[in-house]
Amino acid sequence: MKEKEYSVIGKRVNKVDGLELVTGKARFTGDLRFPGMLYGYAKRSDSPAGMIKSIDISKAQAAPGVHLVFTGENIPGPNLIGILPPFDQTLLAKDKVRYAGESVAFVVAETKTQAKAAASQVTLDIEPTKPVLTLDDALDPASPKIHANGNVTFSRNLIKGDVDLGFAEADVIVEGVYETSYQEHAYIEPEAVCVVPGGDGRITIYASCQSPFHLRGHIAANIGQPASKVRVVQSYTGGSFGGKDDVAVEIGALAALAAVKLGRPVMVSHDREESIIGSNLRHPSRIKYKTGAKKDGTLVAKQVEILLDGGAYASESPFVTMKALIHAAGPYRIPNVHIKSTALYTNKTYSGAFRGFGVPQVTFASESQMDELAAKLGMDPVELRKKNALLPGDSNATGQVFKESVGILDTLQVIEREREKLEDFKEDNHYLYGTGISSMLQGISNGAEGIDVVGASVQMSQDGSVLVGIGLTELGQGSRTVFAQIASEVLGVPLEKVTVKTVDTDAVHDSGPTVASRSTTVGGKAVLTAAEAVKESLVTMAGLMFKSPGAPVVLKDNFAILEASPEARIPLDQVATAAYWTGFPLMNLTFSKAPPSNYDHDTHQGDIYVAYNYGSHLVQVRIDKITGEVTVLRHLACHDVGKVINPKGLEGQVEGGSLIGFGLAHMEKIVHSPEGRIINSNFADYAVPTIKDRIPTEVVSIERPTSNGPFGAKGVGEPPVAGTASAFANAISAALGKRVKKLPVTKEDILIHLSERDKK
Amino acid sequence: MRIRFLCNNEQRDLEIDPSLRAIDLLRDILGLTGTKEGCGKGECGACTILVNGKPVSSCIMLAAKLDGTRVETIEGVKGKDEELHPLQQAFLEEGAVQCGFCTPGMILSSKALLEEKSKPTEEEIQEALSGNFCRCTGYGKILKAVKKAGQLLEEKR
Amino acid sequence: MEYLKPKKIEEAVTFAEKRDRSLYIAGGTDLSILFFDSKIKPEVLIDITDLEELKILEERKEGLYLGAAVLISQLANLKTIKWMPLCLAQGAGAIGSPQIRNLATLGGNICNASPCGDTLAPLVVLDAVFKLRSTQGIREVPVLDFFIGPKRTIRKEKELLEAVIIPKESLNGISGFFKTGKRKGQTISQVNSAVYIKKEGGRVSKIRIAAGSVAPTPIRLKKAEEAVIKGNLEEIESAVLEEIKPISDIRGSEEYRRIVTAKAIKEMVVILLKEDSRNEN
Repeated sequence: MKEKEYSVIGKRVNKVDGLELVTGKARFTGDLRFPGMLYGYAKRSDSPAGMIKSIDISKAQAAPGVHLVFTGENIPGPNLIGILPPFDQTLLAKDKVRYAGESVAFVVAETKTQAKAAASQVTLDIEPTKPVLTLDDALDPASPKIHANGNVTFSRNLIKGDVDLGFAEADVIVEGVYETSYQEHAYIEPEAVCVVPGGDGRITIYASCQSPFHLRGHIAANIGQPASKVRVVQSYTGGSFGGKDDVAVEIGALAALAAVKLGRPVMVSHDREESIIGSNLRHPSRIKYKTGAKKDGTLVAKQVEILLDGGAYASESPFVTMKALIHAAGPYRIPNVHIKSTALYTNKTYSGAFRGFGVPQVTFASESQMDELAAKLGMDPVELRKKNALLPGDSNATGQVFKESVGILDTLQVIEREREKLEDFKEDNHYLYGTGISSMLQGISNGAEGIDVVGASVQMSQDGSVLVGIGLTELGQGSRTVFAQIASEVLGVPLEKVTVKTVDTDAVHDSGPTVASRSTTVGGKAVLTAAEAVKESLVTMAGLMFKSPGAPVVLKDNFAILEASPEARIPLDQVATAAYWTGFPLMNLTFSKAPPSNYDHDTHQGDIYVAYNYGSHLVQVRIDKITGEVTVLRHLACHDVGKVINPKGLEGQVEGGSLIGFGLAHMEKIVHSPEGRIINSNFADYAVPTIKDRIPTEVVSIERPTSNGPFGAKGVGEPPVAGTASAFANAISAALGKRVKKLPVTKEDILIHLSERDKK
Repeated sequence: MRIRFLCNNEQRDLEIDPSLRAIDLLRDILGLTGTKEGCGKGECGACTILVNGKPVSSCIMLAAKLDGTRVETIEGVKGKDEELHPLQQAFLEEGAVQCGFCTPGMILSSKALLEEKSKPTEEEIQEALSGNFCRCTGYGKILKAVKKAGQLLEEKR
Repeated sequence: MEYLKPKKIEEAVTFAEKRDRSLYIAGGTDLSILFFDSKIKPEVLIDITDLEELKILEERKEGLYLGAAVLISQLANLKTIKWMPLCLAQGAGAIGSPQIRNLATLGGNICNASPCGDTLAPLVVLDAVFKLRSTQGIREVPVLDFFIGPKRTIRKEKELLEAVIIPKESLNGISGFFKTGKRKGQTISQVNSAVYIKKEGGRVSKIRIAAGSVAPTPIRLKKAEEAVIKGNLEEIESAVLEEIKPISDIRGSEEYRRIVTAKAIKEMVVILLKEDSRNEN
């Protein structure tokens, strides 16, 4: 990528779909209204584990306004959903209940209030079995088996070199066990779908979702219809962060069954409690970590055992397990690594995808270890990380070598420089202070998780305006804007004349899920490719119009410009019109594929990601000694993003992701009762940060471009979560003089620790 | 029962069931879906509307209580001559909108604040918006947008 | 379900007397949720929000007279009335969010009687008196007699809380309020407390300390008060710890509640003692 002046790439443009959002005109799924629309509501199990003896729906069927009630017995398809093999989750539990909150029956009525009231009239007779509630329970061979194959969801190893030899060479070894808790996505819009029969044998599912193609496949299978009869359209979606896809399939399929049977539109929109209890959560973890180094700080070996609490169903546990595995060693050069990563089943709400996807958990462990190692070596934590930071040409933990786009050292240098500027506060009667840093990496694109393809379309009309279609969803992260910028830059059309349409499974190639921070990279590449194809038609046509066939033509500022003599310029709408009438194609439908991963499945050694985002964070905290309350005085998030396409959007992503990381580290914790039920399924008792809790994140971007991303760009949606959580934990550890081993470390934990310290 | 109120400067006269929630009156009966439901318990602020110029949670409010009041929803927020209100302009320019679900409530709470204080301090903005949750932005750009809108409004005076 | 909006207070209590399963409702920030979730199913709602008698907010001979339907947002604003005690304004200002404070009322916070209600500890240290009205007449109940358990008061079903009187003697002196919750914005108290001090001739002549969420009802901490009168500031924390009996629940652990209540009260006393004896506004 040459350094050049771009028209819109790298510029602070407004979000292209912002106008309808600030005026309230954008229609989210729950805002849709169709004539004859009915409402669905599920009956959920209160028991975390047991055999279903009977489900009595008779009272519900007779309740006011009710049109239909059904159970797992009435599902024409396989009654199986799930993001990944083993697809072990039921739409409606039939023989067995596996978590408190699991849906067992579905009611459709005239209003949501009636459906909810009727659902409460469904009686469930369960013979309870002993619930498996902890990691140790799940590991115990005497525990009941949640699934036929036992309580291990998935397990994999990463083996590089020989850790035993490595540790033998080590001068210093640190060991520890680190834990993290459940975190809830808490998007402000709860899950919702609306299924509308088309009267043409097809149904359309309007959904708040991230993975419309995934929805299409599963819904079609469960209603016993071919996928070609099912269309999924993504509505404006009020945040997702990985949390909506399991549920969108579940309620989408249930609503679809009802819609097809009744011939009427059916809406399902979750209550907040349902959203917390009945949809996936972030995997809690317990990580045993051992690091060995030479006395000059060179890392020689890392041995890690990761246990993830996967809850009742597989959801995305297999991928989270793998991602945790691949990232646990951190952004460092280490010759010997052995990591085992395992997800376990328990009788609780299932764990799945949540922004970060295993990386925040292992980064907390790994970065705690690095600080502990630095302390033992008597080395500065930044120096230790700089010494071992991956450089272009190094082999990382999976043995993959990147010759370009490895900016971890740059980010550490920024942190080091800024750390000097921090005020050196001393403890006094009222306050205690601490500073912490962290370094991390996050693979961009699906990597080991399978095929990474995106479909896109670019169409230019005769008036020179451009319509972009894409299979990846806008969730607030600004991908629509990035795609518009790419099309605008390539075609020389002003941003206002580019429209990115709603995601529709009818329109482009199956693009998989919008995850793994892949929108900009893989999605952007698809739009780039399609736009380049249309550009070719315009350039060829313009050459003819300039009477210089084949001459180099630049498209810029809404003009086609003859490169050899730039005064010769033709407005693009004229070129487009001429191109149409001459017979050059003005639309391109494309499919873009990321370079496949290629690795050994037993050792996870090989080429896995197309690129990595690298980052380092700096956090300074102040602790109130009376309440234990923490104020973050400074937070710096520095990431190597390859190329900044939309600075405003990028800052928003880093600031937002950072606050989620802060919540994970300090404020948020889903709590289960001893019997296995979630007891804080509301926003009063689950402490989502408010504006008064915000942290003052400053965003610094490093650009080490990758040839695998459009204009050199990599994604940045997820990395700040891990970076912030681990830097915060290190800052608190520094302030308290005691290693934080468990997240969240709340103000309570802090005050109780200080009180014990004062007693001594 | 019958209620009469001003909604976005339009006189409304309706027969309603006393058990109706204010949010359902707006969304289902008046078709004003800009006001959102995020939690149903008055905790997240997505349902914020202005009643007699003050922000309230419409999801925990009886529709009956709107009788005789002046109600403003996001649909009524405009600048002069059908332009954008400075808050809407500022939210767009500062990047304070991501998924947009919290935005209507956020704008209304901010509007009420700026009508009281044109140059609020950061603390005052945080207090005014303490009942509006956002999960996407981290709030930084929302703060900037409210400050900027305050400046824009001052300039217009 | 019927909805009634009486124009006078006598009408309100008469409606309540005549109708079974009737409920007084003002802002509804606590009741509405129960009602919309079908956890309570009243036959009649009696909306008392706009009753003139309940909106009175003035200084009278006997002290500060606060109608029960005065909004929490009005109480939170020190400029609303000259003699607004600081601890009460701070307690009100700490409730929920602006959206809640613009609907919620003083009477609602009192009658809901949640152990963590933020106006309660202030009302205790201000020696407030509650005026209750029914078709049988009026009675006045001192604040500490009013609360009998978590969410339980001596108010009879048909009785309407009409007003809160802060005695004139409580309007001189200085006071403070403390609250901490799981987060900084819109949070329910894990613990809260209030302190009222009057100094005469440089010495403490009156001290009242109260805490909420550390017992089934808001309580006065007499031992801690004694420590202050005796001038033994180092003993305040241990005195507080002797008298409070917090529990562990989803909002906070017993241990945290104990430590933070003791520290916060000590800190508040120290700060208030340093301030000049003055009238508050």
